[in-house]
Amino acid sequence: MKSFWIYYQKEMTEASRTYKWIWVPAIFLLLGIMQPVSTYYLPEILSMAGEVPPEAAALFTVPSAESVMASTLGQFNIIGLLVLVLAGMNTVAGERSTGTAELVLARSVSTIPMMTAKWAAMITLMVVSFALGLGGAAYYTYQLIGPLDWAAVTGGAGLYAVWLAWIVTLLLPLGAILRGPAAAFISLAVAGALSLLSSLLPSHVQWSPGRLGGMAAEQILGSGSISWSPILVAILIMAVSIIVAARLLRRSPLSPQS
Amino acid sequence: MTNKLLSIHELTKNIGSITPVKGISFELQRGSCTALLGPNGAGKTTTLRMLAGLIPQTRGEIRYGSGNAHTKDWRNRIGYLPQYPKFYSWMSGMEYLSFSAKLSGLSGREAVKRSRDVIEMVGLEQAAKRRISGYSGGMKQRLGIAQALVHEPELIMLDEPVSALDPIGRREVMDLLYRLRGEVTVLFSTHVLHDAEEICDDMVLMVDGEIAEKGSLSELRTKYRQPVLTIEVEPGEREIAWLDSLASRPYVHEIELGKRGAKLMVTDMAAARTALIKELADSGIELLRFEAGTSSLEDMFMKVVSS
Repeated sequence: MKSFWIYYQKEMTEASRTYKWIWVPAIFLLLGIMQPVSTYYLPEILSMAGEVPPEAAALFTVPSAESVMASTLGQFNIIGLLVLVLAGMNTVAGERSTGTAELVLARSVSTIPMMTAKWAAMITLMVVSFALGLGGAAYYTYQLIGPLDWAAVTGGAGLYAVWLAWIVTLLLPLGAILRGPAAAFISLAVAGALSLLSSLLPSHVQWSPGRLGGMAAEQILGSGSISWSPILVAILIMAVSIIVAARLLRRSPLSPQS
Repeated sequence: MTNKLLSIHELTKNIGSITPVKGISFELQRGSCTALLGPNGAGKTTTLRMLAGLIPQTRGEIRYGSGNAHTKDWRNRIGYLPQYPKFYSWMSGMEYLSFSAKLSGLSGREAVKRSRDVIEMVGLEQAAKRRISGYSGGMKQRLGIAQALVHEPELIMLDEPVSALDPIGRREVMDLLYRLRGEVTVLFSTHVLHDAEEICDDMVLMVDGEIAEKGSLSELRTKYRQPVLTIEVEPGEREIAWLDSLASRPYVHEIELGKRGAKLMVTDMAAARTALIKELADSGIELLRFEAGTSSLEDMFMKVVSS
């Protein structure tokens, strides 16, 4: 437990010294705020552009507060996920390829505290950035568009956080065998494939964690119910990933190049 | 001094189809300084990595301490410096040391105190607060030694600690290791015999994953001391022919022929000297140099490695 805190502290310091604590939350905040603001001002933007007949601009109605929030999640799904994966891709892979793992692992009997600390640090960054982004979105939506069902938003946010968390966690075992960019690519591909699969064949993959993103949006829109199996599967994936990553790192602490 | 700190038995490592370490056994006495000597690719790094617990051995046994108590936390009692130590470049030297110390189980306050001690010991106190990214190669190597010492280990293992350094850095590190003798047990690998002779009492010579020779330096020196005659002559047909004929003399044990001279390992120095000088004078060979001496460890090293 003690070594968990030492590693956690180290990971947090590293993230702030490499400015991850600035650019990741900043991008999330920007993405979150942009959605309600641009939706609200869209008619004016269109009319300023001057190429839209006023009749057409008048047809445009500002969507409901709930649907603005749901589409904010859609924003996070592309750029937000990419940013998180890029920020996290070198947590394990980097230690192996630069060789810093050699000195650290010569000191520790178990790699589990180290891996858990890396996971916790990534999740901390993810949760804070996501909360900031969604908070910004909710604030502007509330100010510009209308009131929100806070319980639904919180529920949706929780589901969405689990969705982001398990994809980011995949970086740990992948980083223990591959180089950073390859790990990032594969975890994004897995996320994309699973969410595509659950939208194409929704009835066949009830348990798929790929449903979590969609479920979160439905939750915010006030439709649909929470099913627990995808959440449980996601948590299981995270636990297995951490253990597998710890084992793999113990077995090959150095990438062959070094 | 029969206090064993580390004994390894039949240690073997297979990596795929190759076997870099083929069943080696040796022991380290507490407080001794041992050099793991060998040419590049002899399996020194693999051996040290296994001893540091970084990679598991395929076969064989590593035992720390003298008794049977196979304590679980032996890792905290060894310090390890890899051949190319890599640090978190965003940390300062001081931060890295106290991070390492804490990982090895020291409390926060102890860690800071010990870090300050070792950073002074390796002479980095000026750079203690600077980021490691700005350190020179020699400074990094010294920081590496500092991190190996920070948790007061019983045994430190250094993989080629001076190979990558310039002569001044090399001198500094060697002096530092010399000062450590006796306080901690030192095992270091090198491919330079001279370094080993300078600070170590014992050596283990590895060639192709096997131990070719081991023992204390003085023992080995005596064992491999052989009378040697070095002869150098003016280049000429007659001279060359004469040198070639030397191999058949009864007192010549072994001969190494060069372009302009020969190195003779002889069985009886007195007889050989008298006979050869007489022969030289009689046949009028144009002699340049005639030297009687003994073979050095360097010769032994070359012989064992190239055989």
